[in-house]
Amino acid sequence: MTGKWSGRRGAGGAQRTPLPAGAPGASRRGVLRGGLAAGLLAPLAGCGSVADLGGGGPDGTTVRFWNLFSGADGAKLSTMIDAVQQEVPGLGIDATVLAWGSPYYTKLAMSSAGGRAPEMAVLHLSRLAGYAPGGLLDPWDLDLLAEFGVTEQDFPAAAWQRAQHDGQLYAVPMDTHPFILFYNRDVAGRAGLLGPDGELLPLTSPEAFLDAGRAMAAATGATGVAYGYQVDTGQALRLFLSFYGQLAGELDLSGDTVGIDRAAAEEVVDFAHRMLDGEIADPTASYPAALSTFNAGRAGMILSGEWELPGFQEAGFPLGATPFPALFGRPRGYADSHSFVLPHQDVVDEDRRRATHRAAAGLLKQTLTWARAGHIPAYKPVLQEPGYAELEPQTSYASAAETAVYDPAAWFTGAGSTFQDQVSQALIRGFSGAASPRAAVDDVVERIDAMLRIPDPEA
Amino acid sequence: MATTTTSVPRRRRPARPDAQRSALGPGHRTLPRALGFAALLALAALWLLPLLWGLVTALKSEAQAASLPVRWFPQAGGFTLDSFRTVLTSSNLPLWLLNSVLVAVVVTAVTVLISAMAAYGFSRTVFRGREWLYALTIAAIMVPPQILIVPLFRQMLSLGLVDTYWGIILPQLVAPAMVFVLKGFFDGIPVELEEAARMDGAGAFRVFWQIVMPLSRSVLAAVSIFVFISAWNNFLWPFIVVNDPDLMTMPVGLATVKNAFGVTFAADMAGATIAALPLLVIFMLFQRQIIRGVATTGLGGQ
Amino acid sequence: MSTAELSRPGTAPTGARGRPSRRAGLGSGFWFTAPFLVVFAGFLLWPVVYGVYLAFTGASLSGGGEGLIGFGNFGEALSDPLVWRTLLNTAVFTVASTVPLVVLPLVMALLVHLSLPGQWLWRLAFFAPYLLPVTVVSLLWVWILQPELGLLNDWLGAVGIGPVAWVQGEGSAMWSVVIATVWWTSGFNFLLYLAGLQNIPGYLYEAAALDGSGGWRTLRSITLPMLGRTTGIIVVLQVLASLKVFDQIYQMTSGGPDNATRSILLYVYDQGFSNYRLGYASAIANIFFLLVIVLSVAQLRLFNRREA
Repeated sequence: MTGKWSGRRGAGGAQRTPLPAGAPGASRRGVLRGGLAAGLLAPLAGCGSVADLGGGGPDGTTVRFWNLFSGADGAKLSTMIDAVQQEVPGLGIDATVLAWGSPYYTKLAMSSAGGRAPEMAVLHLSRLAGYAPGGLLDPWDLDLLAEFGVTEQDFPAAAWQRAQHDGQLYAVPMDTHPFILFYNRDVAGRAGLLGPDGELLPLTSPEAFLDAGRAMAAATGATGVAYGYQVDTGQALRLFLSFYGQLAGELDLSGDTVGIDRAAAEEVVDFAHRMLDGEIADPTASYPAALSTFNAGRAGMILSGEWELPGFQEAGFPLGATPFPALFGRPRGYADSHSFVLPHQDVVDEDRRRATHRAAAGLLKQTLTWARAGHIPAYKPVLQEPGYAELEPQTSYASAAETAVYDPAAWFTGAGSTFQDQVSQALIRGFSGAASPRAAVDDVVERIDAMLRIPDPEA
Repeated sequence: MATTTTSVPRRRRPARPDAQRSALGPGHRTLPRALGFAALLALAALWLLPLLWGLVTALKSEAQAASLPVRWFPQAGGFTLDSFRTVLTSSNLPLWLLNSVLVAVVVTAVTVLISAMAAYGFSRTVFRGREWLYALTIAAIMVPPQILIVPLFRQMLSLGLVDTYWGIILPQLVAPAMVFVLKGFFDGIPVELEEAARMDGAGAFRVFWQIVMPLSRSVLAAVSIFVFISAWNNFLWPFIVVNDPDLMTMPVGLATVKNAFGVTFAADMAGATIAALPLLVIFMLFQRQIIRGVATTGLGGQ
Repeated sequence: MSTAELSRPGTAPTGARGRPSRRAGLGSGFWFTAPFLVVFAGFLLWPVVYGVYLAFTGASLSGGGEGLIGFGNFGEALSDPLVWRTLLNTAVFTVASTVPLVVLPLVMALLVHLSLPGQWLWRLAFFAPYLLPVTVVSLLWVWILQPELGLLNDWLGAVGIGPVAWVQGEGSAMWSVVIATVWWTSGFNFLLYLAGLQNIPGYLYEAAALDGSGGWRTLRSITLPMLGRTTGIIVVLQVLASLKVFDQIYQMTSGGPDNATRSILLYVYDQGFSNYRLGYASAIANIFFLLVIVLSVAQLRLFNRREA
């Protein structure tokens, strides 16, 4: 390196370079250039962004709002935001969409830890235990919410309960999105499973469900039940928690090892395996494969999240829905809720926080739009609106919000978490028959216990 | 590492005796050259095709981009600039580009200045602990900055610099490899020039600024190019330290923020095209300088 | 920084003929290095030390866990199957990317060095991808490798192969990342090889020509041996660069499916920021750091011995 540069430059530059005397006077161009540089560098002095330079930056009534909705959900949310901004003059909602799942939740936590978080964000209620105890969220002001017409009575008990931490409200539930049963009315009719009202006859025992599945398989000439779970990071857990909830309640993660009713757990795994026998349901189905099977009429029912509703409606067959079938006693079904939270800010601007409460209340009142994407609005006054009664099949599973089973609460659980992934991987082997129910449950217990051994980073 | 420097070409080669200098040696001008040409053409096409495919996709409508069978030229409607319009009006890409310019310019200017000063200090002066500090600097070239994300983030938390420009910039100013490259160059400048200036009464900093820096224009350009490209394309650290979409640099914003309307291939490619363009255009204008800058700096440090 | 002090005549401790005077204390030389040393100490040395400290704590992203907990994190890391899995993935990626990233750039440089017409275009073709931001590379290749609509599966389909799931497939995801990486960074090594080729003295070729040595023989007996050093540098640099892979994996596969592409740095990120466990993540990062140092030193030794 040295040789090259000095060899070339040294020869040419051997004569003495005269030193210019005195500093160059401040020319007009210099001043101009300095001004431009200062303008560009101004944000470096403060904490703002170059975006603030034009004066269009966030003022006291702009609520920066992070969410993870794209596709049908994203379009619906945009409509709702527009409506709220029209309704409340001067209120701005600046929405940012981040990639669903772990990337979103990691960024949210890092932003809260950094202290300059956005005013409001969407959080799955199942994730609350990973955020509130660590001080990553600020609590909502109940009085302010009440001022904008939002109180405890407006929400289903299950969701409201789950939104609390340490006696304070840390999340305002926006919806409940349960795991439910969709069915194809044509297929169900051909299988003789429709009641006089045109709805699916109630399925109240494991055998009844399997028989119905066989009847539908005969009607489609393919399979009866669509259920996609292979290589998926959540589906197996959703089914498991639903039936386990009916049999035994919730998994207990408060101790050093998981509190689980093994007999009940094995019964659920065994049942799933019997359903996935190749006749009633395809044991090799992945999530997208199950969707296309159901859409193509090659299955009469699908066990699925209600968030798939818009896709099913597009497929164009007569669609029915019920809450998750109560085959093992009391009605229970896996669900989660989207909610609004206040990411922790080191410096809180009171005006802006007030605007945030107002924005949350405004969005809740727009959730009839949200319901069109399949979700059950958590804000119950919306359910009374005439517009909601017209939503079919949404109304037929609205009751699922009251029988919701969430992920067991722990810092490592929730939507898109490694907990869901890990437990699902163990269950998949049991469901498909690669492992016996006992071995699968052993594996589940082992994996959960391993997570419980990790010191809680929020403690 | 020190041994690596000498492999850089010493002088610009004479332009003509090309065939003589071919790697296959002289005398094989026809058949091997034709074969070489074919191979070169194939390899270059392979390397350019992905770029062209991205550009062609960006010039389609979403429907055309997502239609089967896969086609280079859209069947109906022809090419359109709609995707570019969408990206420029409804995304933060222009803002992210501005952030990238700001960060890369400041990082380059400050890094080159302080690295050159340090290199000069290490090259020309003696002070207590100099050799030890220089040895430490050289040893630090081995530290991959990526392993520091956790302590650095924690440090930025306590300094209150998470979600600020300074949070992005400060850790990128440390470039021990550039100090190494620059010191190697300064070592080779004949010291007589500086002595003459000093006899004229110039102080040490003035000698550095008015003699050494102008003499080093070529190596400074090389180092600047190298630092600028690294800063412009840096992903990991800005991704860690910035969460506020308004402060994101282009590579971070493009990877992190989604649009509300789901999968959009044509718009993705339009965004990618816009993001790729500034550096590609600069490269086409200054190919010779950039290639030399990257090759010499790359061999001298890293 | 006080320029007044720097420019005061006489403070420069350089004596006659530029030989630094031995008596110098903290002269202006120190002030030249001071700005660099400040950022160097603040944002490189300190984080290294602080990272080692954190590895012995239960530090958490949400604050707390400051106290020292001994070697617990290291013990956990060594018995964590995912640490081993991600180290293995990193090693696989390093080998799988380094080999083509040495061979292809060499071929490119040899061909370009034939001095065929169109030099500007060849250099543009091979080097342009290196100038793309990694996010652009990831977006582009995820699109090309898209199973139904992607260009590559379309072509493979035409010759009766596939469709390959590429980024989504457990067996193919790593190869997807490798392909994108090779395409992206070949240009850099290509430039280094080109510089190496230009550095071979012309008289060697002239001598070979006098001996009547043929093209392939010249390549084998002169060109390739003379490129030995360059190859050594490129291998060393490439191995270190590949070990540190994060960006394109995070963007293309997020480490999936089922951890098939999770690199060790991705795992550090997951543990530190997704699971809030800054202490544990630091322990893993330090183990990795140690491996990198051992490998670097080993490589340099090997390289220097071959040189000698």
